[in-house]
Amino acid sequence: MTEQNTTLKVENVSKRYGDFTAVDNLSFSVKSGRVFGFLGPNGAGKTTTIRMIVGITFPDTGKIELFNQQVSTELQNRIGYLPEERGLYKKMKIQDQLRYFAALKNVPQAEADRRIDFWLDRMRLADWKKKKTTDLSKGMQQKIQFISTVLHDPDLLILDEPFSGLDPVNVEFMIEVVAELKARHKTIIFSTHLMETAERLCDDIILINKSRKIVGGSIREVKSSFGKNLISLRCEGGETVLLDKNLVNKIVEHADEKEIELTENADPQNLLRRLIESGATITKFEQVEPSLNDIFIEKVKETNA
Amino acid sequence: MRKFLAVVKHEYKKIVLKWAFLIGTLLFPIIAAGFAIVPAIIFSIKGEPTRIAVVDPTGKIATRLKENLSAERIREKARQATKDAVTDVTASQEEKMQRGVEQLGENFVFVDYSEDGKSLEQIRRELSAKITAKELDAYLLIPRDFDSPEAKYEFFSRKAGDFVGERTLRDALNEAVRSQRLADAQIDESKLKTLSRNVTFETKGVDEKGNEKDTDSSFIAAFIIGLMIYITLAIYGQAIMSAVVEEKETRIAEILFSSAKPFELMMGKLVGVGLAGLTQLAIWIISALILVGVGVAQMSAAGISISIPNITPLMIAYFFIFFLLGFFIYASIFALIGAMVTSVQEGGQFSFPPIMILLIGFYFSFAVIRDPNSQLSFWVSIAPFFAPITMPVRILSETPPFWQIGLSILINGLAIAALVWLAARVYRVGMLMYGKRATIPEVWKWIRQA
Repeated sequence: MTEQNTTLKVENVSKRYGDFTAVDNLSFSVKSGRVFGFLGPNGAGKTTTIRMIVGITFPDTGKIELFNQQVSTELQNRIGYLPEERGLYKKMKIQDQLRYFAALKNVPQAEADRRIDFWLDRMRLADWKKKKTTDLSKGMQQKIQFISTVLHDPDLLILDEPFSGLDPVNVEFMIEVVAELKARHKTIIFSTHLMETAERLCDDIILINKSRKIVGGSIREVKSSFGKNLISLRCEGGETVLLDKNLVNKIVEHADEKEIELTENADPQNLLRRLIESGATITKFEQVEPSLNDIFIEKVKETNA
Repeated sequence: MRKFLAVVKHEYKKIVLKWAFLIGTLLFPIIAAGFAIVPAIIFSIKGEPTRIAVVDPTGKIATRLKENLSAERIREKARQATKDAVTDVTASQEEKMQRGVEQLGENFVFVDYSEDGKSLEQIRRELSAKITAKELDAYLLIPRDFDSPEAKYEFFSRKAGDFVGERTLRDALNEAVRSQRLADAQIDESKLKTLSRNVTFETKGVDEKGNEKDTDSSFIAAFIIGLMIYITLAIYGQAIMSAVVEEKETRIAEILFSSAKPFELMMGKLVGVGLAGLTQLAIWIISALILVGVGVAQMSAAGISISIPNITPLMIAYFFIFFLLGFFIYASIFALIGAMVTSVQEGGQFSFPPIMILLIGFYFSFAVIRDPNSQLSFWVSIAPFFAPITMPVRILSETPPFWQIGLSILINGLAIAALVWLAARVYRVGMLMYGKRATIPEVWKWIRQA
């Protein structure tokens, strides 16, 4: 498989529950071997969309293709789904639960046992194999649930808020594990509210709100399309230049630096040249990209208005 | 299919490999054995004899009373009571108690006491003093006018709570007074005894082919089978419900649904739990058969003859068939309830109606035992919901013609198809609805839309 093959294609998909439209004419595609961020506020329609991808529910209209085939229960064996709301059997031994989940994905028992040992070891939970869920901490349970999603070595992983309930050390650890899976050319759909993590992990994103797509594409594309001309500046002098209404829209003063919002179409290079010409001493001049968080908040506010 | 089998295995192991299953399975035969053996043991343990003084100014009653309370007479009565208890399971609580008392039959030791010329007050004082001094356990004052309707027999006892002793004494006293009255009326008592002897009443059933058969034992067996099926259906129906609720509550359902078809998951659960129930029932029936065998041997050794119910392998096959029919009917109802509610407690409230129906079916089995060929027995052993309990009971009481059994299986089979269809639709939607309990209109919508 080459980098550009498409794992998932969602085309004009809509899903209604009575009068409520959960997903409205949604289209996007996920390239294989990439980490795809599926972002949006609560109630945007993420879970409904994911359920349609994993074949739990089916779209009213539109089409979903997985591995170039129509979505079906047969394809479920190639997907690993970690739902946002998830759990384990309370009074069952960890090994038995994992064996059951593997069997439901058609993994032969011997192979399942081998993988269970591998993953428990990788997650540093080997000592807990014979323990019951109730003996495990919440973070440990999260890791066990993660194992249950990867036991059948799926080609597509759908992780819905995979890091909730984990401490920062374990979040780092899990990010590492996800990176390993990506290195093994697995396609990963990653749904989260944590924009910082999404920014670190994702190659491509889609942002949906109120059942519709807002923006989508590679992180770079999204950021440049959002294109706010922001400059982080630390300098002495040059006040007259900064007062030019044709060039500068707004100045926000921070402790020892200024955040300059340029007017539309203004060229940052022009500002830099004029500051130097005015004899100002410049210690920092940085073009600031908007963070995913800024884009998220801005776009969601925009569509909610 | 492989996934379906994985679900079956998972559900079966989840129940059978639990302590509760082991204890429950073993406990039932132990309790049953207890019912068979314990009375025999108790029967051999006697309380300490009651030392009693009888004050009889008439000199007529005391002798007869002593005779009635002699060891042989009490033993005789106990043997009769045991025999009645075995053959009459439908006796009321009162009757059972009476019988228990007779089986226990307390011993009395008579203490001589001379009342010559003493006033009643004096007698009471003296005897009460003896009781306080622990020389005596009780005393009985027989009135001079023993035959008058106003006559009061006074009984004072250190063991006022000893209902066994009190009852034995009262019965013996009544008998003594009665014989005295007969004697006074110049009626020959031995003659009266012969004349008022009970007839020997032996019940024989007649089966379809006109052969005689013993009904006493088969109707105990019918009762036990009805009870066993009722208990297992109630237990395993609720086991289904809590298994469904657990998967919904812990959100495991979402993972399961992303791995297998909801219908596969639900049916796998029903079949797995059903097999667990079948395992338990099989253990019980086998141990019951063994116990009955041992019990019968023991009884006949003790001189009480009861016959073994005539249970054929076909009958046992029918029990399992009807158990399974009942299981799938009630299990799909409980699965449906489990998918509707959000917690086991909530499910408990909703499981009241099916449990009620089950209980009514169990009560109908009494009517079936009494008259297996009545119109009522026919209808309740055909009707869905009731047939799984009443039909096996009827088959044991008196096997109906095959077409009736076949019809019952067919009707209940259709009921299962309908209920499974309904439950599957509710299950598919309900398992992914978190937060609040579904209302009946909502459930109806799921059924139509799914």
